[in-house]
Amino acid sequence: MNTRTGITRRHLLATGTAAFGASAALGLSSRRALAQSKVSFQLSWLHSTQFAGSYIALQEGFWREAGLDVSLQPGGPNAPVEPPVVSGSALIGISAADYTAAAVEEGAPFRILGVAMQKNPFVIASLAGNPVNVPGDLEGKRIGMALANTPVLQALCTLNGVDIDAIEVVPTQYSPQPLVAGEVDCLLCWETDLPVAMTIQGVDNVTMLMADHDYAVHSQTYIATEDSLANRRAEIVALMAGEVRGWEAYRADTDAATALTLEMFPDAGLDLETQKLQAARQVPLMFSDLTDANGFGWWTDETVAANIETLALLGRTVTPDLWDRSILEEVHGA
Amino acid sequence: MTTAAAFATPRLLSGVLRGSLLGPLAAILLWELAAHALTGAFVLAAPSAILVYLSENWALMGRALGVTLANAGAGFLIGNLAAIVLATIAIVLPRSDALIRGLALLVFCLPLVATGPILRVVFGPGPWPQIILAALAVYYTTLIPLLVGLRALPSGWLDLVRSYGRGRLAALVHVRAMAALPYLIAGLQIAAPAAFLGAMVGEFTGAERGMGVLTIRAMRGMNVEMTWALAVVATAVAVIGYLVIGWVARWFLRDEPPIILAPPPAPGRNGRWFAALINGVVITCAALLLWWAGLKLLNLNPFFAKGPWDVVTALFTAPDAAETRSTLAGALGETAVFLVPGYLAGLLAGAALAMLIILVPAVAGTAMPLAIALRSVPIITTAPLVVLILGRGALGTVVLVAIMVFFPTFVACLHGLRQAPGRIIDVLNSYAAGPFEQLIRVRIPAMLPAFFAAARMNVPASVLAVTVVEWLATGNGIGSVMALSASLSDYDMLWSAVAVVAILSALGYAGVGLLERKVLRAYAPEQLL
Repeated sequence: MNTRTGITRRHLLATGTAAFGASAALGLSSRRALAQSKVSFQLSWLHSTQFAGSYIALQEGFWREAGLDVSLQPGGPNAPVEPPVVSGSALIGISAADYTAAAVEEGAPFRILGVAMQKNPFVIASLAGNPVNVPGDLEGKRIGMALANTPVLQALCTLNGVDIDAIEVVPTQYSPQPLVAGEVDCLLCWETDLPVAMTIQGVDNVTMLMADHDYAVHSQTYIATEDSLANRRAEIVALMAGEVRGWEAYRADTDAATALTLEMFPDAGLDLETQKLQAARQVPLMFSDLTDANGFGWWTDETVAANIETLALLGRTVTPDLWDRSILEEVHGA
Repeated sequence: MTTAAAFATPRLLSGVLRGSLLGPLAAILLWELAAHALTGAFVLAAPSAILVYLSENWALMGRALGVTLANAGAGFLIGNLAAIVLATIAIVLPRSDALIRGLALLVFCLPLVATGPILRVVFGPGPWPQIILAALAVYYTTLIPLLVGLRALPSGWLDLVRSYGRGRLAALVHVRAMAALPYLIAGLQIAAPAAFLGAMVGEFTGAERGMGVLTIRAMRGMNVEMTWALAVVATAVAVIGYLVIGWVARWFLRDEPPIILAPPPAPGRNGRWFAALINGVVITCAALLLWWAGLKLLNLNPFFAKGPWDVVTALFTAPDAAETRSTLAGALGETAVFLVPGYLAGLLAGAALAMLIILVPAVAGTAMPLAIALRSVPIITTAPLVVLILGRGALGTVVLVAIMVFFPTFVACLHGLRQAPGRIIDVLNSYAAGPFEQLIRVRIPAMLPAFFAAARMNVPASVLAVTVVEWLATGNGIGSVMALSASLSDYDMLWSAVAVVAILSALGYAGVGLLERKVLRAYAPEQLL
């Protein structure tokens, strides 16, 4: 297995470098000849393996072949995703069903075009010695989280018949430190960041994926405006087609995708081992029987219904119209 | 000049070199021991571990530092140039003075937490939000000393220019500019660490590289060595910037650069209340006009760009206006609980340390470098650390606000205490009054104007500190409301919060000014002439 991974990674890097070299040699004139249209793609966080599928699409030329010159814009803790998409400076943005629903309530004309994270990445993380394995374990525990996420905890409790008043909420910054220091018994965080950091630092920890306990909120969703969907459809289809290919390649070899990420962003301060583990942990959130049957990013009426139900618990009223599958249908040839 | 203060950078440096290196060395040793005692808590990194991290990752750190320094430098340049242009306009057109001061204060009171995402939307990808935030962080602390300095000259000189038949512009170039130079240097010195902080906050709005990006990475990855290495490097750079500007100044100036923190309150006249009211109305109208016209000119999407009318609607006439108001009021109440004690503690600590140095001069060797370092530490890297160490109760936030307020107050008070009239001190000496007696009877009254100048200037600084801490570390209060409403696309709430915070900060500034007049009338009436 190891050797296979190695070969694939080398192959991937080699083709990536070759493609890069070729485009550099051909220079601007070739770009003009191909009539590349410039497209901005707004990510939801700093560059990391969280978006490695997109990096593969960029490096392997999946978008260039389709005539797209894509620039990937990083997000950050104080970086807005929705405004650049609303104003049209970004064609597509990475959001999540709950944030998109909030923006739509404020008048943003968004549609969800694809769902990268089929399972919401929220987990309850705890130390192995004092684990939270099921929602019921939360009662009597101190949980560290941003107070802003109280509706998320409330929804989990409602869905599983847990008394939220039996949980002590301690407002903390987004860091594993309060858990490790014993100030709290568990944390509300993502499966792919703080638990990974703890594991890498040698802190034995347990995670309970909220999605496994009926918390259904599509995450890392692709959004675009109704206007873009009507007027820039070909570009959106090409962009999503590149995403699908990129993420399929990512799934085939997450280590190679991680190596590519570190190579493309040497200044991002990424740690190889941390990123490898994050990339691997992301796979079960992104790929499921549903995507195996229908393709990357897919959803059904049933998963949308479950989302609408959870979103209602979060105080968001949405209709199935928020999701628009026509782009994915075109990409997957359904 | 009541607000000009001689601040002895060279004296300080030599004091550090020849005086007690013992204090800092002992502190580093204690730090090392404490870090080893706390291994496993993921809170404190030992100096040795930080050095190891830096030696292993110097290339990464160097590149990040280069990016952030370049943005901070560009912002420093733009912000200070803007300050010079504004000050020049205010001098050439004296009628515009009050308006420029008022608008400049309002803009300085805009919370970075909220302006960051708005700037990112306006400027799109690239370094501009970082540069503009750095510029916004520095222009006010340069503008105010400059406005004082451009007037800090004997009127005879101006008469001389006039007697040669030359106008205001000639006076500006030949006389005022020269007189203002020491004041400009003082402003630049304060600006150096502020620009670095502004550039780092800017990186939080979506940047590919820089010290701010690495800070986020380090904190989330529980990488304590990296977090502390970043804090140490950022502090060192800010301290060096501060010292270098002071050192360069010595090439230009015979006198040491003064430290000026805020202009003296406007001279008292009859009908002052009426004039102040008119002034307030004019500034408010100008601010609203600029706000409205800015949105129109930039042609921003109304989804996130809210004008004055949207804010009024959100706060007063919308169906959920009452709810919005109560959310804001509740958050502001939470914030005040941290802000007010931290602000007062910072003022008291600054004044107390200055007095201690007057009474026991030997303390200066250890206290001064520590004070400069504290002033220069970028709050973004320290906020999570202080909260980690002091806990996420009130204490951590209060201490951080106090740190921001402490240094400017300390420097101003120290100068004020030293400014006590020599003849009066001689009289007390001849009566064999001890240093303590002199402090109470002469030096403290002489210190009051400088103390209040610092108190006014620290109102916006403490608001900046508390909102950053709430946003990054504790997750409550108005700082958290602003961050949350940006992520939930509740831009009515965000702009309302920005407007309310800016207005309250400006009112706080004016309120301290009012108190200042009352106190000075009793203790130092000559300052009001």
